[in-house]
Amino acid sequence: MITAEQKPVDEIRKMIAPYKSILVLGCGSCVAECAAGGEKETGALASALRMGAKMEGKPALIQEKTLDRQCVRDFVIQLDEIIHQYEAVLSLGCGAGVQAVADAFPDIPLLPALNTEFLGETKDQGYWLENCLGCGDCMLHIFGGICPLARCSKQLLNGPCGGSREGVCEVNADVPCAWQLIIDRLSATDALGRLEEIYPPKDWSRKQGRGPRRIIREDQQG
Amino acid sequence: MGKEHFTLALFYCQGTPQSSEHDRQSLEERYGKAIRLFPIPCSGRLEPLHLLRALEEFADAVYLITCPDGTCRYFDGNRRARKRIERTRFIIASIGLEEERVGILVRSKDDRRVLVDLVQEIMDRVEGVAPSPVLNQAVKSAHAHSRK
Repeated sequence: MITAEQKPVDEIRKMIAPYKSILVLGCGSCVAECAAGGEKETGALASALRMGAKMEGKPALIQEKTLDRQCVRDFVIQLDEIIHQYEAVLSLGCGAGVQAVADAFPDIPLLPALNTEFLGETKDQGYWLENCLGCGDCMLHIFGGICPLARCSKQLLNGPCGGSREGVCEVNADVPCAWQLIIDRLSATDALGRLEEIYPPKDWSRKQGRGPRRIIREDQQG
Repeated sequence: MGKEHFTLALFYCQGTPQSSEHDRQSLEERYGKAIRLFPIPCSGRLEPLHLLRALEEFADAVYLITCPDGTCRYFDGNRRARKRIERTRFIIASIGLEEERVGILVRSKDDRRVLVDLVQEIMDRVEGVAPSPVLNQAVKSAHAHSRK
């Protein structure tokens, strides 16, 4: 999923300051799972902003709504009937969600309330870990299901750097050495020999260098 | 600033001794509109959203009474509640509201006090907290009451 964190309230208040009516727009998907922009967080932020506005003596119309997904137009059109009541939308969607709503309503300023972080997994309650770079050329079958691009501090594809100490990365002591994890996992499945295989250089053109990537599936189109 | 229009929102775990519906009604009679009581099955269910809504709509301060550490019937509800109180304090501080408006009371295991005693302690704790600048005092005046 896509992870995100809420911007500091001070920063958000500066962004919304020019506007007298604001829709605080949550998203019920990834950012709800990472407790940044779901219905609860959207309600809490809207409450805080309303209270802050009252205390400043600058009452503003600040209302909230949460879409199931901001990044899917079929959900965004639910705003058709209400969005023009507001001078601006403060979105608690990820960067993709903010832009999808902005694209649908070109005449309404869209303000991001979150900093979008990474593709990751929920490791535990309140703990999210980056584990995918979205490189467009997945090699996890070679590395025992552990991505060295996302999880090795040096993003090494050709083996450990030699700086691992007792399974811990020399760059960041909070990070397990990805290559130690790869070797442990391949050893456990008797597949260490997989690292002997020669594979071609990684095709980075699938990730970057051609502008925004697109996926077009005619079989999914109307 | 006078405190004649002060309202405390009090959330409490239903595991609190002598916190039946009858006890709640007795407290409401005693304190009038100075207190609004919200029994909840477990303090771990409480979210910052609940506390913020209370502060936004009617409360000058919000407090939570949890079970003693290690006695939560859902194992760690009171531990979670403590973190959410801290989170709420952080949020209100970010808009310039005093952190003291949000509080928690965690009994020790050998603390045998019942709800009415705990309420009195909390009322004493918030004695120095001024009426909230968030609330429209004109509206609050319609619900004027005296703190006891």
